[in-house]
Amino acid sequence: MGNGSHHAQEVTVALAGNPNAGKTSLFNALTGARQHVGNYPGVTVERRTGHYEFEGRRYNVVDLPGTYSLTSYSPEERIAQLELLEHAPEVVVAVVDETALKRSLVLVAQLMHLTGRMVLCLNMADEARMSGQKLDIALLERLLGMPVVETVGHKQQGMDGLVRAIARAASQERVGNRLVLGERLDAALRRVREAVAGAGIPPERAGWDAVKLLENDPGYTSRYREKGGAFAAAVAAAARERKRIEAATGMDITLFMAECYFGFVDGLLREVVVRQPREDARAVSDRIDDILVNRVLGIPFFLAVMYLVFWTTFTVGEYPMDWLEAGFDLLGKAVGGLWAPGSDAMLRSLIVDGVIGGVGGVLVFLPNIVLLFLSLTFLEDTGYMARAAFLVDRVMHRFGLHGRSFIPLVTGFGCSIPGIMATRTLENERDRLTTMLVLPLMSCGARLPIWMLLIPAFFPPAWRAPALWLIYAVGIVLALLFALLLRRSILKGEEAPFVMELPPYRLPTLRSVIGRAVQRAWMYLKKAGTLILAISVVMWFLLNTPADVFSGKTEAAALDRAPDSSSVNEPGRSTLTSAEPGEIVGGGQPAASVPGGATSDDAERARAAEEMRRSLAGRIGRLMEPVIAPLGFDWKLGTAMLGAFAAKEGFVAQLGVIYAMGEVDETSDQLRDALHRDYSRLTAVSLMLFLLIATPCMATVAVMRRETGGWKWPLVQFFGLTATGYLVSLVVYQVGRTLF
Amino acid sequence: MQETVLTGALEDYLETVYQLVQSRKLARVKDIARARSVRAGSVSPAMRRLADLGMIRYVQREYIDLTPLGEEHARRILARHRILTRFFREILQVTPETAEADACAMEHSLSAEGMDHLTRLFEFLRVCPDGRKFLSSFHSCPRIQPASAECMLHHRDGTEAIDGKGGTTRSVADLKPGQKGRVTQVSGEGPIRRRLLDMGILPDTTIELERVAPTGDPIWIKLEGMQLSLRRKEASLVSVLAA
Repeated sequence: MGNGSHHAQEVTVALAGNPNAGKTSLFNALTGARQHVGNYPGVTVERRTGHYEFEGRRYNVVDLPGTYSLTSYSPEERIAQLELLEHAPEVVVAVVDETALKRSLVLVAQLMHLTGRMVLCLNMADEARMSGQKLDIALLERLLGMPVVETVGHKQQGMDGLVRAIARAASQERVGNRLVLGERLDAALRRVREAVAGAGIPPERAGWDAVKLLENDPGYTSRYREKGGAFAAAVAAAARERKRIEAATGMDITLFMAECYFGFVDGLLREVVVRQPREDARAVSDRIDDILVNRVLGIPFFLAVMYLVFWTTFTVGEYPMDWLEAGFDLLGKAVGGLWAPGSDAMLRSLIVDGVIGGVGGVLVFLPNIVLLFLSLTFLEDTGYMARAAFLVDRVMHRFGLHGRSFIPLVTGFGCSIPGIMATRTLENERDRLTTMLVLPLMSCGARLPIWMLLIPAFFPPAWRAPALWLIYAVGIVLALLFALLLRRSILKGEEAPFVMELPPYRLPTLRSVIGRAVQRAWMYLKKAGTLILAISVVMWFLLNTPADVFSGKTEAAALDRAPDSSSVNEPGRSTLTSAEPGEIVGGGQPAASVPGGATSDDAERARAAEEMRRSLAGRIGRLMEPVIAPLGFDWKLGTAMLGAFAAKEGFVAQLGVIYAMGEVDETSDQLRDALHRDYSRLTAVSLMLFLLIATPCMATVAVMRRETGGWKWPLVQFFGLTATGYLVSLVVYQVGRTLF
Repeated sequence: MQETVLTGALEDYLETVYQLVQSRKLARVKDIARARSVRAGSVSPAMRRLADLGMIRYVQREYIDLTPLGEEHARRILARHRILTRFFREILQVTPETAEADACAMEHSLSAEGMDHLTRLFEFLRVCPDGRKFLSSFHSCPRIQPASAECMLHHRDGTEAIDGKGGTTRSVADLKPGQKGRVTQVSGEGPIRRRLLDMGILPDTTIELERVAPTGDPIWIKLEGMQLSLRRKEASLVSVLAA
């Protein structure tokens, strides 16, 4: 970090700035496709890194989370601080919205304590110019002692200047701190800094620590105090200075320092602003708001926008979804055709039913996700999302949620996966986690086939619509109750302030919207895909492996052995064969591709049902029976629920196999009759509640793991929801039994 | 009538009567004498002159009340006294005792015009951002500032006394849409207060309430070209003086 490093071949660059300052589009413009998006360990905050080359040097870029300040109050701010202190980037690029200079430059002033090599990047320069504002850039450079460049991130304008400025900053000596915060604060900081330096803190950090100690940042203060000695003396020095300032000014330290920073920025702007923006620079945007956020029209318009988003996502998305499904069908058949006709090869079934079927079943959601993210990114970039949050915050807040939670939750009616991913628009970690955790309670589209099968099977026509409505209502009520509960228990904590900026409406560029939507879709594919592949394979083994062969072995052991054991030809261990119309391969016309039609369909189905009973899944279903019997379920339902874990709609297909119906879907009357014969209406109610609440599907678990960066939250969600589902079904079934 | 203008001594008496009436409804000659540390005998002539000027009236023999005219005069005198005291304490930063004594000595000898202009200077230094900046650099100038600055200001009585027009502070959320207000105080603590300050909601900033959500909460404000939304609970931390 010293003076030597600026000649190194690799330069680390950090982008810092307010949320909505356009950091991410600048980051994309700088690094192009050469980037990696991950998570900071243990938090839901994204860590974006990338790199670019310029004049033979490699520049590694980190996009810090957007913050308004560098306190230790939120994970985003803590991370930004940590990244700047621990990784000590050679150059910090302060990205600033040029149309909101005053507030943005306050963060720049704070950053100046932290680093000696900075570039000030005035983004959204086109808008600033349009508003009539004019700055003396050269003077600004001189006053701040850093290169200043103007850019338009989403149009990739000014990138050349930015890259050069970064190179310039990287190769120059650290400039002295040009911050002038007033005699009183400067003197106090100087004295605290001396005390901090006395504790052996290197000079480039001492300045920052002095600021934090003086403003009485709880994290710094307690850390210093614990170390005792010279560290404790620094805390005492800070307390002394603080008391002195507070007594002399009549302001508390937070207010006083804020006044000083704003004072510095005010003074700076007074010198460099050649022409102020016109008063009516936002007039058009304000007129639009008069209509869109109108007290009467606001909510109807919002609902219409929501409707449009979901129509696009699920109705328009259906076409490419069908194509994908057909594609996987073809792929399954093509791959299946590589084996000899009628072959019972285990590997074939694994690849066709397990891998292609399982991964394909999740991949078909891709069009939905891309379309949803296109819509959401568009709404976000135009600035409407902030208005939407403003409109519905009251309702959401009552349940401990945030205005921005609304859209992800409603998206959950379509599919939990894009819903969970849409929570990214929530700034605060606790808000985001709460929303994600309750999201599977919104009855998703994949559960609709289950309701469509069960409700007509057990309810007379007049009850059907209310029953369907009720199941959705139960989900919503539970989601809200859980949100409230979470905010009072494990996610308790001070509420994040709803101090939200409402930027003027902007017309986003097609490229930035598409770019970001595709980026997110790709992440879904890459990360969720690998895990889903693994779970698919495990599920396949559970459903296809006769339990007696591997009795006493875990499924992991079965997985290891699979390739070898497939060559051992035992007559009794045939799996779901080509005659068995699996979910993917079947395609409705089994006869055409199935030459082994010598056996009658009925016998074939009976065999499949018997195999299911004997499979590991069937075995597990039977093992589960004592546990689920109090809910009114038998092993058949238990086995089908394993299918529901793979994908909720899998429940229906699984029941079809168990009941030896062959290919079934939610419109199958035969299956309904069978179900009606075997189970009471009370069992059906208990079953629907259980399927609504318990066991989020494996794709949800995978995406939760990806989005939260660990196994903790997916497991909390999985077991929490399953336990609740169990309890609700138990109570309903047992109480119902005594009543009726 | 030989006197049409209040003398310094009469002003002092009027002030005393006002304070006694405020606390006890009526002022007795005996109490006035005690408050001003003079003999009771010297109070009565002064009272007679005040009565002649229409400032006070006798309810009974020893009991005195203020007339509306007297009350108005007394208030003005008191306000002047307060402003002078604060001027000495806050601008010149003398000790509270000295400030009190100097204010008493000065309040009667200043002309109305001089007093008026001094008040304006005081307001400029305490309220106008430019003045505040000037004042803070004045105070932090090491050549003027003595080392013993800490013992000075222990009062934080806000700004309500300065605003002669009698505005009252309220939450930003209580402004009407389109109405502007000047921030007088940002209370609260921890992350919420910090965020408000970080967004530039500082004392003396002008805020306009732009609109309110259809459900009545949150609110939408405008400040310095920026637009923000706040929940009412957060907005209640921001006190403003309606413009």
